[in-house]
Amino acid sequence: MTRSFSIFMPLLGFFMATFIACQDHVTPDPDTPADSTGTGMPGDSSGGPGGPGGNGGPGGNGSSASVEVSKAITAAMYTMTMTNTSCGGATGLAKVVCLTQAFQATLSDSLLSAVQLPYSLANAQKWSNLPAGLSARYGINQASLDETQRTAFKDLMLALLALNVTDEGYDEMIGSLVADNVLAVSGGGTTYGAGNFYVSIIGTPSTTGLWELLFTGHHYTQPYTFNGTAGTGYTPAFRAIEPTYAVSENGKTYQPMEQERLAFAALLTSLSSSEQAAAKLSSSFGDVVLGPGQDWKFPATKVGLKVGSLTADKQALVLNAIKLYVNDLDPTSAAAVLTKYTNELPDTYISYAGNTSVTAANDYIRIDGPSVWIEFSYQGGVIIKNMPHPHSVWRDHTTDYGGTK
Amino acid sequence: MAGLNKSILDNPILIVNHLKKWFTILLIPIIRGLSAGNALGHPMPNSVVLLTLHSDHISTELQIPLSELQAAIGIPVNDSSAQLVDRLGSELRAYLTKHINPKTLDGKPWRVTIGALKVHETQNAINGVYRELTAQLELTPPAGADIRKFILDYDAVLHQVVTHKILVSVSQDWAAGKLAEDAPAQVGVIELDIVNNRILPLTINLEAGSAWKGLISMVRLGIQHIAEGTDHLLFILVLLLPAPLLHTRRRWTDFGGIRYSLSRLLWIVSAFTVGHSVILLLGALGWVRLPSQPVEIMIALSILVSAIHAIRPLFPGKETWIATGFGLIHGMAFANTLANLSLDAGRMALSILGFNVGIELMQLLIIIVTIPWLILLSRTPVYRIVRLTGAVLAAVAAIAWTAERVTGTANAWAGMVERIAGYSPYFVFLLALLAIFFTIRTRQLKNA
Repeated sequence: MTRSFSIFMPLLGFFMATFIACQDHVTPDPDTPADSTGTGMPGDSSGGPGGPGGNGGPGGNGSSASVEVSKAITAAMYTMTMTNTSCGGATGLAKVVCLTQAFQATLSDSLLSAVQLPYSLANAQKWSNLPAGLSARYGINQASLDETQRTAFKDLMLALLALNVTDEGYDEMIGSLVADNVLAVSGGGTTYGAGNFYVSIIGTPSTTGLWELLFTGHHYTQPYTFNGTAGTGYTPAFRAIEPTYAVSENGKTYQPMEQERLAFAALLTSLSSSEQAAAKLSSSFGDVVLGPGQDWKFPATKVGLKVGSLTADKQALVLNAIKLYVNDLDPTSAAAVLTKYTNELPDTYISYAGNTSVTAANDYIRIDGPSVWIEFSYQGGVIIKNMPHPHSVWRDHTTDYGGTK
Repeated sequence: MAGLNKSILDNPILIVNHLKKWFTILLIPIIRGLSAGNALGHPMPNSVVLLTLHSDHISTELQIPLSELQAAIGIPVNDSSAQLVDRLGSELRAYLTKHINPKTLDGKPWRVTIGALKVHETQNAINGVYRELTAQLELTPPAGADIRKFILDYDAVLHQVVTHKILVSVSQDWAAGKLAEDAPAQVGVIELDIVNNRILPLTINLEAGSAWKGLISMVRLGIQHIAEGTDHLLFILVLLLPAPLLHTRRRWTDFGGIRYSLSRLLWIVSAFTVGHSVILLLGALGWVRLPSQPVEIMIALSILVSAIHAIRPLFPGKETWIATGFGLIHGMAFANTLANLSLDAGRMALSILGFNVGIELMQLLIIIVTIPWLILLSRTPVYRIVRLTGAVLAAVAAIAWTAERVTGTANAWAGMVERIAGYSPYFVFLLALLAIFFTIRTRQLKNA
């Protein structure tokens, strides 16, 4: 009895040691999360082939805001009265810097550290046309701001966008938020709505250095890349809308992308049949080609119809369409960009696919100039089924992200 | 469980690591992440190509969203998708034949056979619910050509709708140790080269595979299968509970000695192994096939019977035969796992071998970490309490599982069993403490 017992003692020690050794290893398997960062899980046909940025990031994933909060945001923001008094003396970039700093001054430490990112192209590329709940953004969302903070943010946007033009500039931005509130109550749920739009400040605001202000949410992204005297970039700017029909809130009606659609239809239908044939592309398009993640992939060869070959009135129709993007900016900024695009108009090309009336899914228009790049894609509805909705992107061959390629 | 992909042989402390696995697998819920989290855009659904590599051909599933297919071919396949395959099957086959042209790196064409076509609804976070066409294809390289390196020239939909994307993934690659249980691994995307306005075929270049890698992955699967299968674990433990004891006709009595205990253990475990190995072989080869529900119910019942036996001897001295019989039942569950891999004969033989080795290794590990304590405890008066507690708990778990598997609906008890099972390493620890404490105490009492 005693002998057999003594055999067990070393054995016992061995098992104790084994057990303790095992306990050291009880940690979550570091490989496990790899599943969730995979780009596009086959089998569910979703997800893209990836691009810059990854999962997570400060704030972002799983973004959701109640409909009440989202409606309170648009109610507080839709009027266009500047309340800031301390930055009134400044103009241009100095005013933007002043208003950005005034906004930052209202933020708590935690919000401030979330909104402020170091400047890097990867941080600047963290935008999407998807809701933030499906494609994470950096920065802070509108739902996390209180009244004072929201007012300071509104003052900043008022200085950056065109004011008092129905469905353009600042009004177009509000219209996009209102439409997203409609999606939230039309089956989209709480990942939709104004509360899920993010602002981030990438780099330190200054009148001389490189930094970016990025406002991005579902169907609306507008970046401003400031680089002192080297100039400012306003692209890639994404504009889209669902639902396509007019939506109302706070006694105002919005249909933010309808003017653009009509301008393209007016342009295409003005063309002669031979001009239409030259502009028509043989391929079909289910979306814009240069959407998020497709930076600096401008086609080496421009396709379609050269605007310089058109009569002056038709060229004016091209310029009208371009203006609906450029004139979203504050008038001074817009004028400089528009001068460049107007000068380059003869060497700009237009092309399209689908119908000239721009009414159905897979209707598509492209404006490709030496600098300007605009795409407008009509495609099937996502939340509002059986009704097409547009995606549109404005890029610039040289000043996307402030030219920081 | 990507951690399981590391070669077992790379790691000298295999057993320890897999014990760790046993803990973590049970402690940490497996979360299959929402793939959309990384998407930047692409509101239109993508096409998917899923490759399953066999030794001489590749089974392929194509998933094509009907809305995109409609835009590409101009036929309203999405607007009116009812009986689509009946109405337009031959046109769709001709279309696919035209647009899938796998070839060797030096351009020799592979043979393509298009099997079943199906239309069904699917959904993802971005697009919601939508309809897609799936096609089962068989791609066969010319004799002597490398099956792991080839050019996939596939452009259905994309040839016309240039914003479309085709995601190509490997869902099973036995020779590389990748089994269908893992999430498919993306190997490339076929899409428009926007700058040059062209669509390039995708060159597939898979890492070299071998029978050895396949075998090892099957050993891993066997280990995982036991480690994750709380019911198999519990069955083995409860079967071993009375093994060190002598018995009369009606009840368990005293410790039977080390030699007696070990010999009985060996017989019981070997019998169970023989039982499940035989049926695994027959089942995996397709000679015996039972639907999984009755098998799962019988497994739950086998635990109940063993638990009762641990309380009062039901079949004293015949444990070997009972273990063999129950081995047959558990083996059928193992066989279903293997049959789902649909491997060819040579690989299936290796898989059965590897899978079985994995099962044995994990069983052995469990026996090694528990049996010494059981033997120690069985020499003390408290073993009666330990045995009865263990048996009753196992019986409760078995009843909960039986109810769950008969009704097909989850119940709270079974859920609790799974949660408690997560703490099994702590029970081993507790068992060890009890064993040491009572062994010393029993000795002191005797000496006193």
